[in-house]
Amino acid sequence: MVSKKLRNDILLVGGIVVFALLLFVVFKLNLKDGNLVKVSIDNQMKDCYNFNEDGEYTITSGKNTNVLVIKDGTAFIKSADCPDKICVHHRPISKVGETIVCLPHKVVVEIIKE
Amino acid sequence: MKKYISIFLILIISLFSFTGCNQSKQKFTDYSFDFFDTASTIIGYETDEETFKENCEKIKSWLLEYHKLYDIYNSYDGITNLCDINKSTGKTIKADPKIINLLQYAKELYKKTDGKLNVALGSVLSIWHNYREYGLKHPEDATLPPENALLDASNHTDINDVIIDSNANTVLIKDAKLSLDVGAIAKGYAAQKVAEQMENAGMNGYLLNLGGNVKIVGKRDDGEKWQIGIENPDRTSAEAYAEEMELDNDLSLVTSGSYQRFYIVNGNNYHHIIDPETLLPAEYFTSVSVLCEDSALADGLSTALFCLNFEDGKKLLSQFEKVSVLWVTQGGKKLYYGDFEKYCK
Repeated sequence: MVSKKLRNDILLVGGIVVFALLLFVVFKLNLKDGNLVKVSIDNQMKDCYNFNEDGEYTITSGKNTNVLVIKDGTAFIKSADCPDKICVHHRPISKVGETIVCLPHKVVVEIIKE
Repeated sequence: MKKYISIFLILIISLFSFTGCNQSKQKFTDYSFDFFDTASTIIGYETDEETFKENCEKIKSWLLEYHKLYDIYNSYDGITNLCDINKSTGKTIKADPKIINLLQYAKELYKKTDGKLNVALGSVLSIWHNYREYGLKHPEDATLPPENALLDASNHTDINDVIIDSNANTVLIKDAKLSLDVGAIAKGYAAQKVAEQMENAGMNGYLLNLGGNVKIVGKRDDGEKWQIGIENPDRTSAEAYAEEMELDNDLSLVTSGSYQRFYIVNGNNYHHIIDPETLLPAEYFTSVSVLCEDSALADGLSTALFCLNFEDGKKLLSQFEKVSVLWVTQGGKKLYYGDFEKYCK
């Protein structure tokens, strides 16, 4: 026969563990939801877009343009007027830390955690 | 019982702290476009942004010095660089030890790679470079370099015509038509040397990426490994990465690929890694990644291996210790050497 006090203690601990796990799950989900697409030109942050909202954005610096598309949990460069088009050929990115670089325009598109 | 409960509580608290924000150091990233005609990324774990920025300024000033010295296209006031040396054939030129040491290292690798890594190939590479640049700007007029021009140029690529005196710090190019192009090795060599300077300056937990030439500097405080993806050379594939790697311990990973720097003539891709024997883009693989501590070796070997078939590549590698390699063939098959797969996720 387990004493009442011990049973209460076990319940308390169990409750805290469940609470902690719940918080952990919410925390993780939040992280996933909060991802941003950071655009920088020559290492200066230009804009930050919500990674979960589809949209099309024109990145301009001087005469240079790159068109960024965020769609279905991916980000990619749809078109650009750079000479090599390496950024346009780059496959869509979706994970935190992944980048697309346009060397001639000094543009970096990166998925970040926020 | 109370004792157990407090242990439980401590465990729970520590669970919280693992999920929460207990990092004393944060990740910072810096992008620059001023070195070696590529994008450079510096990633570092520091307690505050200011320290990171200060360190980046130092790192970038070191990189800039190497960039200027190894630049074959531009001259700079106050220094003698490879561009100046290329213009001064027939004369003995005094040069910075950073140039002398690079050229000596390149000569060593020339011997070890049986000429597949040849920094005296400049006259051939510059022809390809010009046709590629023109072809990218005028895709409808893109053409291949004429064979006889390449053959003529290849008569002026003997590395033994480059005389180095490491005591006097001088270079003499005996062949007037020979030119140096250190593109196959300069990034890796600079990354290695700058990493050593960073270590001496006490920088720890950094990653240097010079356009695909990755070098890890020191250990991360959080004990975690760096996650590095090797791009899948097949752009039509759903798989983004050929391999995803987990690296630490001052390792360097360098990938040479044909899928980024190329131009198109009559529907065919012609990339930038030229086999010194055929004088044409090497066609064995679409990407070769080399993993070892020395970034200069990784860089040089990735180019040399790109120009060798698998069997000859393995023969070349038998001269080296603690070097591992991933080849991706034209057909998308992956081949491994050494411990490479141990570092794959």
